[in-house]
Amino acid sequence: MIPRERRDVVVLGGGPAGLAAALAASESGSDVLVVEREERLGGILKQCVHDGFGLVRFGEQLAGPEYARRYIDLVEGRRVAVSLETFVHSVRREAPAAARRAAAADGDPGFFVLTCVNRDRGVFELEARALVLATGCRERTDRQVFIHGDRPAGVLTAGLAQHLVNIEGLLPGRRAVILGSGDIGLIMARRLTLEGMEVEGVYELKSEPSGLSRNLRQCLEDFGIPLHLSTTVVEVHGKRRVEAVTVAAVDQRGQVLPGTERRVACDTLVLSVGLIPENEIAESLGLSLDPATKGPRVDQAGESQAEGVFVCGNALHVNDLADYVSESGEAAGRAAAAFAARNGAPAARGRLVPVKAGPGFLYAVPQFVDRGRPGKAVLYFRSNATLREGARFAARAIGPDGAPAATLLEKRYAALRPPEMERVEIDVALVPVDAAAVSLELERKEGLRG
Amino acid sequence: MSLSKLRAGIAKRTGGDAGNFGALDVEVREEFSSVVLEGRVPDWRLKVELGWFAAGFGYKGVVNDLEVEGIEEERLAPSFPAGDRPLEGRSFDVAIIGGGVVGCAIARELAKWKVSAVLLEKEEDVAAHTSSRNDGMIHDGFAARPGTRKAAYNVRGNRLWEPLAGELRIDFSRPGSLVVFGSSAAKAAYPIMAARAKENGVDGWEFWSRKRLLAEEPNVTDGQHGAFFLPSAGIVSPYRATVALAESAAANGVEFSLGTCALGLEKEGGRITRVLTNRGDFRAAVVVNAAGNWSDAVAGMAGDRFFSLHQRRGVEMILDANAGRHLNHIMAMPSLLTVNRKTKGGGLVKTVEGNVLVGPTAAEAPGRENYATTAAELRELEKHLRLNKKLSPSMVITYFAGVRACTYEEDFIVERSERVPNLVHAAGIQSPGLASAPAVAEDVVRLALEALAATKRVSRNAAFVAARRAAPELRRLPFAERAALIAKNPAYGRIVCRCEEVSEGEIRDALRSPLPAASLDAVKRRARPGMGRCHGGFCTPRVMEIVADELGIPLDEVTKKGPGSRIACGQTKAGAEGGRQ
Repeated sequence: MIPRERRDVVVLGGGPAGLAAALAASESGSDVLVVEREERLGGILKQCVHDGFGLVRFGEQLAGPEYARRYIDLVEGRRVAVSLETFVHSVRREAPAAARRAAAADGDPGFFVLTCVNRDRGVFELEARALVLATGCRERTDRQVFIHGDRPAGVLTAGLAQHLVNIEGLLPGRRAVILGSGDIGLIMARRLTLEGMEVEGVYELKSEPSGLSRNLRQCLEDFGIPLHLSTTVVEVHGKRRVEAVTVAAVDQRGQVLPGTERRVACDTLVLSVGLIPENEIAESLGLSLDPATKGPRVDQAGESQAEGVFVCGNALHVNDLADYVSESGEAAGRAAAAFAARNGAPAARGRLVPVKAGPGFLYAVPQFVDRGRPGKAVLYFRSNATLREGARFAARAIGPDGAPAATLLEKRYAALRPPEMERVEIDVALVPVDAAAVSLELERKEGLRG
Repeated sequence: MSLSKLRAGIAKRTGGDAGNFGALDVEVREEFSSVVLEGRVPDWRLKVELGWFAAGFGYKGVVNDLEVEGIEEERLAPSFPAGDRPLEGRSFDVAIIGGGVVGCAIARELAKWKVSAVLLEKEEDVAAHTSSRNDGMIHDGFAARPGTRKAAYNVRGNRLWEPLAGELRIDFSRPGSLVVFGSSAAKAAYPIMAARAKENGVDGWEFWSRKRLLAEEPNVTDGQHGAFFLPSAGIVSPYRATVALAESAAANGVEFSLGTCALGLEKEGGRITRVLTNRGDFRAAVVVNAAGNWSDAVAGMAGDRFFSLHQRRGVEMILDANAGRHLNHIMAMPSLLTVNRKTKGGGLVKTVEGNVLVGPTAAEAPGRENYATTAAELRELEKHLRLNKKLSPSMVITYFAGVRACTYEEDFIVERSERVPNLVHAAGIQSPGLASAPAVAEDVVRLALEALAATKRVSRNAAFVAARRAAPELRRLPFAERAALIAKNPAYGRIVCRCEEVSEGEIRDALRSPLPAASLDAVKRRARPGMGRCHGGFCTPRVMEIVADELGIPLDEVTKKGPGSRIACGQTKAGAEGGRQ
């Protein structure tokens, strides 16, 4: 018999999303357990020693570990149970046991049973009414951006470089080329420079940088590190350790322009070429993923289409700020606690009204608004292009006849850039009971009258 | 043998006639029953084509010494400097040069006899080259040209692999191979194919109607008209198989000298007496040449160059593990029907881990260890995806290249040297080398023992243990067994690689195996950390810590693949002051 532990809510992941979720669920009266794979709480923030965290959440500039510490203290203050160095092997749903079934209401969705592995407890099971997935994201690799050539040591993702430098105290090399202008890449350009490495340059396939404006300024411009747009690394050279890379200019479709190849001597290639939400467990539970976000489709509380499964943070979509990661964790934690508290009673879930992001959006989260959840719903979105002249955003409820039934929100933006995520709130009460959709619109400033 | 006819042909192919012997500077001569090509040609392709042409004149081998403008002749050299000379002054009955699947299979076969043996491998681990860089297929033997050594060894090797895999405790499966008929007319080739399978002695073949094909392989693309099914085709993990052979050999007393490059073979009275290496010179009664893409160079060291190798690259793509559920068999491209004698054409292979491999390509190119891939090669491979409706290029998670070691005769060389009586060649073992390796090993050991008989009476090693002591793979164990192991050794409960679910304990096992890993790549070959979708993004520092701990070295001395390939190159300012934060 595998030993089993029962909880109301189990949160997978002890980073900024999971900690916020656990805290909110605990504050809502749930008996919560956080499962963390690593030996310490904090998730990726443990290695983010730069500042810039907490402005939205705490109104001050914090380093990553400081931001994490605030949440860890709150979680520990409430004596929330934590299982560190615990690996979730698999998750399944289980119908209520026969004894309980008699008492269980019709339509009781049952429990989640997680089979876990831990050095002290061996193999054990966790049972929970509600599950919060706060599993974060992973980095895309050199193969996923189709870099060719040799396979020497010295090719690593920005996150791995960050771990080596900030946690292990190791320098990954002497002279680095950075591919990708995502935020971690920019931050590592500065970090490696400060540690005495030479950063030859940052190369970006796209014609615009992928990172936040403040990082471009503070990490590259302030250090005189060149940013080469519409340029990519096509080949790695070196049998044992990187000796050089070939870079080349690309056209608007990302195709290499022949004749522009140039060899750049370096011993390190750092890749910051995108993040992908980690959703192995979500997929194993049959959740469908939104191709735009690569995360599950959820309502405004983070509840997926599978009852009792809540998703938050970077597992849902890759956020720009940790503050928003925590915010979504809080919403998911609170809702998971409420779900668990019903103890299998018929779902209070209302009708799910799909959120339809029109042209001009990269994506919008959540993908549904649950009419049954009163109050404000937070929506996050990104534009799919830089709108320097500004834009007008509108959220409208669409009636069953397909015509706009109510305007939920109108907002003007001075400028929009895809790397910068936007956050808006709508009042769910304004969405008519029979609404067919919530439609999001984005209009360029040029198109605006007056 | 008609040298004049060969000369005339070569002259024609180099733009001249027999009189002026070509516009190009090419000379042809006979040497010890082989034919030697010398001179200069403008491109690699022509060099290879002349080699193939010369192979058709009944000589024992083709030595192709043609120089190609702009391409340097490659020299066998240590991959990294050696720090010591532990082999100096020692003496062995048998020295095997090369730690690929062939060398390791020979080592294990040799361990069944009471001999002292050493295997030399110039890299930091076995299976560092093409034995890690192939699709793992245990071919049925249908594709090899009837009458070749390839065909015979393949069919024998195919039969030997299943029991061998059981002894080695590695996965082996026989999904069988389908050669699909892309048109109704192609079906007419069935009797010819069946006749060839019969001639090669292949274990079983069937005609599958379109209906049967769809029933057994539901995702096959429309427009296929049935298939030629070869049930004996199997699959292993090629690097795991090679490592397992080596571990079993090491556990049974064969010495493995890694980071050791053969630099020369000293002879006295026509026999090899000493092997010169970068880690010391030693005496050997018999030398086995299993040097893969360098086997012609090793033959040359002994003064026995009767063949040259040319390199045929093969690139493969690996699809996500999710792709595995869409494929039930190995599937070959119909181009096989055109009987291209140089390659079997590639296709789709489901690995023992459940991924799908697509490939390989086959392109003649210089570079004995050139594993760089190109975008064009991947595009070429996408054609294979057309065999299956559910597979798409977006499923590609990684790709790699291997290099086939080919003679111009395009056949294996498994023989005792005609000139050097205590030298045995296992050379030119290109595809299907993995499938053939156990059979090749049996013959090589028989030949080596014959050579050894001149100096020593050899008896069976009664202490030989066939079953390899394999380290446990926890993710595959029932929970009760897993829990029991964790209770005994808690390191089995600490998962280090989250993608492949590999524990600290399994990584430590890899570092303590009978052929211990000493680099990240070597750990990966044994226990798989870093093989998953994040490619080691998360687990690399953790694996580094365990490697450093087991080897007793500082963290920044941990390498990817031996000296010269460190992951880090020193400490940060804070790291130098306080170490780990």
